[in-house]
Amino acid sequence: MMNTRDLELLSSYLDGQLTPTESARLESRIAADPEMESALADLRAARNILRKLPQRKAPRNFTLTRKMVGQNPPLPRAYSFFQFSTAFASLLLVFTFALNVLTPRLNYVGPINTGWGGMGGGAAPQMMEEAAAPAAEAPALEMPAAAAPEMEALPTASADIAPMAKESGQEVESAPLTQPEANPPAAPIPVSWQALLLAVGFISAAVMFVLREQAKRTWR
Amino acid sequence: MDETALIQTAQRGDLDSFNTLVLHYQDMAFNVALRILGDEDLAQDATQDAFISAFKSIASFRGGSFKAWLMRTVTNACLDELRRKKRRPTTPLEPDTEDGDEMESPRWLADPNMTPEQQSEADEIEHAIQHCLDDLPAEFRSVVVLADIQGMDYNEVATATKVPLGTIKSRLARARLRLRECLRGFEELLPAAFRLEGERR
Repeated sequence: MMNTRDLELLSSYLDGQLTPTESARLESRIAADPEMESALADLRAARNILRKLPQRKAPRNFTLTRKMVGQNPPLPRAYSFFQFSTAFASLLLVFTFALNVLTPRLNYVGPINTGWGGMGGGAAPQMMEEAAAPAAEAPALEMPAAAAPEMEALPTASADIAPMAKESGQEVESAPLTQPEANPPAAPIPVSWQALLLAVGFISAAVMFVLREQAKRTWR
Repeated sequence: MDETALIQTAQRGDLDSFNTLVLHYQDMAFNVALRILGDEDLAQDATQDAFISAFKSIASFRGGSFKAWLMRTVTNACLDELRRKKRRPTTPLEPDTEDGDEMESPRWLADPNMTPEQQSEADEIEHAIQHCLDDLPAEFRSVVVLADIQGMDYNEVATATKVPLGTIKSRLARARLRLRECLRGFEELLPAAFRLEGERR
C-alpha cells in the first residue's frame, strides 16, 4: 500500500519539482512497483483532464469605478473658500437671529423694574394682565376708588385700560400708560443684513454644488 | 503592458492603471472563482469583490508575483462566498426546464464557435470535472484550480493560498488522486482522448 509521502513524490515528479537525484531514485522505484506506476498514471490523467478544461471568458468587465472604491473627485481650490463662506454666513445668521430675539427681551425688563421698584422684571407683565383683567371683564362695574392710583402706577399697562376707566367715571391719566420707552426697542441687527447673510449662504452653497458636480463630470 | 509601472501608479491611487491590470487578469480571476465556487453568479460577485479588495490593499503589495498576490484576494473572496453560501440556499449551476428537469446544456455555457457535437462534448467534460471539483474540500479545490487549471507553479500557489510549500504538494497530490477516482465514474461520458490520458506519458 502506497503512503502519502510516496504520493506527494509522484505528484511533484509529475510537475518536475524533484531534483535529478530524487527523480532517478523515484523512477527506479516506479519501474519496480506496478502500484506506483498505476498511481502515477492516475495523477497524470487527472492533471491532463484539468489542464484541458476550457478557459471561460469573463462574462463582463470587472473594471472598477470611483464610486466602487469610495474615491471622491479632486475639488478646485475655490471650493474650500465657498465652503468657508457658507459656514461663516450660516453662523452669523444664527447669531443675528439670536441677538435680535434676546436683546428686546433684555431691554424690555428695564422700565418695569423702575416702575415697580424692587419688583422682579419677570413678574411685571403678569401683574399688569391681572390688573387689567377685571376692567375688561366687567366694564359696567364701578371701579373701586383705589384702582385709579394703582393704574396710574402702571407705566406699561395697555392703552385700552384708559377708555375703560373713563367709562367707569374715573379720571385716568393716559400719559404714563403711553410712555414711548415702554415699547420694546427695535432689533439691533436690521433684517436687510440678515437677508444679505442668507443670500451669501445660499449663493455659496449653490456654487459649492456646481463646483462639485462639475468636478464629478470632468473626473469621469 | 508594463505591469510594474502600472502597479506603482495604482499604489498611488491611480484607478485607470489598476483597471488596466483588471482587464488583463479578469478572465483568469473569473475562471478561478468559477471553478472554486461552481456557480457563475457567485463567481462574478467574488471576482468583483476581489478586485475592489485588491485595489484597496494594493499598497501592501511588496513585489513578487502580482498574479499570485491577486489570486490570493480572489481565493479569499471565494472562501468568503462559500462561507456565505453555507448560510443561504443557492441556485444550481444547471437551470431547470419548465418540467423541473435539469437542462442538458445551459444557454450561458454555449460557445457560438463550436459545433453542437463539440459543444455537447465540452459541456460533458466541464460538468464532470466541476462535479468532481465540488466534491473536494475548499482548500484542496483552490490548490488544484490554481496549479492544474491555471498552470501556476508551486511557489505561486503557496503565495496565493498563504500555505507552506509542503502543504501545497500534499494537497495537490491528494486532490489529483481524489479527482481521478471521481472522474472514473464519468469515464463513459468523457471523450476517448480523456479516457486514455492515464495510459499515455
